[in-house]
Amino acid sequence: MAKGKKSIVYPVTFMLIVTVVFTLSLSLLNEFTIDRINYNRDLKIRRTLLYVFDVEVEAYSGESTDAIYKRYIEERIVDGKKLYIAKDGDEAYGYAFPIEGNGLWGSIHGFAAVSTDYSTLLGIDFISHNETPGLGGRISEPIFKDQFKQLSLSGSEGDYIIFRPAIGGNVDTITGATGTAKAVREILNEDIHAFISHMKGDR
Amino acid sequence: MSNTKSKEIFTLGVWKDNPVYRQILGICSALAVTNLMLNSLVMGLGLIFVTAFSELTVSLIRRFTPKHIRMMVQTLIISAYVIIVDILLKAYYPSMSEALGPYVGLIITNCIIMGRCEAFAQNNPPIYSFLDGIASGTGYTIVLLIISFFRELLGFGTVFGINILGDSWVNWSLMIMPPGAFFMLALLIWATKSLLPEKDDETSKGGAVNA
Repeated sequence: MAKGKKSIVYPVTFMLIVTVVFTLSLSLLNEFTIDRINYNRDLKIRRTLLYVFDVEVEAYSGESTDAIYKRYIEERIVDGKKLYIAKDGDEAYGYAFPIEGNGLWGSIHGFAAVSTDYSTLLGIDFISHNETPGLGGRISEPIFKDQFKQLSLSGSEGDYIIFRPAIGGNVDTITGATGTAKAVREILNEDIHAFISHMKGDR
Repeated sequence: MSNTKSKEIFTLGVWKDNPVYRQILGICSALAVTNLMLNSLVMGLGLIFVTAFSELTVSLIRRFTPKHIRMMVQTLIISAYVIIVDILLKAYYPSMSEALGPYVGLIITNCIIMGRCEAFAQNNPPIYSFLDGIASGTGYTIVLLIISFFRELLGFGTVFGINILGDSWVNWSLMIMPPGAFFMLALLIWATKSLLPEKDDETSKGGAVNA
């Protein structure tokens, strides 16, 4: 064995075997957990949508979330894009759509919901972001995102979100996370404006 | 497996030869994740798992590994275990997976793991290597928890998210930001330097590496 280690064949074969063993076990683990991971991802999207429509979800259980989701939210494809419609009984009261843009460190993905007459922002939430935990990462904490519930969109077009203390400010920013907060404001202003003008143009 | 030997491994890893304040390894992540105690704890547990199993594997195959490609082999083993941690967190603890975000993947870059594999697991039997991984990981976790305790307490007024200092406390934003981590780490290294007599270095040479 000791002599064999010096040759070229031995290290290459050894490396190949080690690589195959580990790659194989990782792909097996991935295979076994992929359903669960996908389910967790879908569950998170459903919870996010319920949150932006301000529907209470009590327990952190998958089944109750699914049931409530089915009762309140309808998915429809409009112009090749997925549109989420919230209904209370038979009457629709809001539309939700994905928002997306660049944060400070990476892209931010989330959802925003507006009322059916486009006069009110019902709520926003984020699916994924890479902002600094404890600073920019606080955009996904209730204290920040709850501010966007029932926010009037009557301001000038494309300039819906204004941080206090600027004139006309309606939302508080996060101390120490100016970059992230600015990014969030721009994403929201742009995407809400784009969505509303698109929907209005439809009619 | 003798008790004295395992005891010595733990004294060295956790206290006398602590990877963070003695060997100055794993500093990057010690600075990055310590603004919240919960993040530090899960990061520490992840590191204990990865270090212990990487050292075990490296030690198991150490007699068959050609010397000149051992670094490649170690890197492969370490990254495999880190991916396992990442997948398990995503599947069974999604909220924590989100809170830690990119840091889980960054366990790979933690010099403690490679340092211990190279310095200890390469020359010691599997059981001791496994214990050494747990010991070094624990040493790292304890340091992280100490730093994050002060940073979270002073920066947010909370411990593990529970409010301790009350509403009248004015948060020191500096503690949550990177400079706070540097100050705390420096203070900790200073404190341990003066608490631990230098002459102990003779016994703690066992596995120290400079990386």
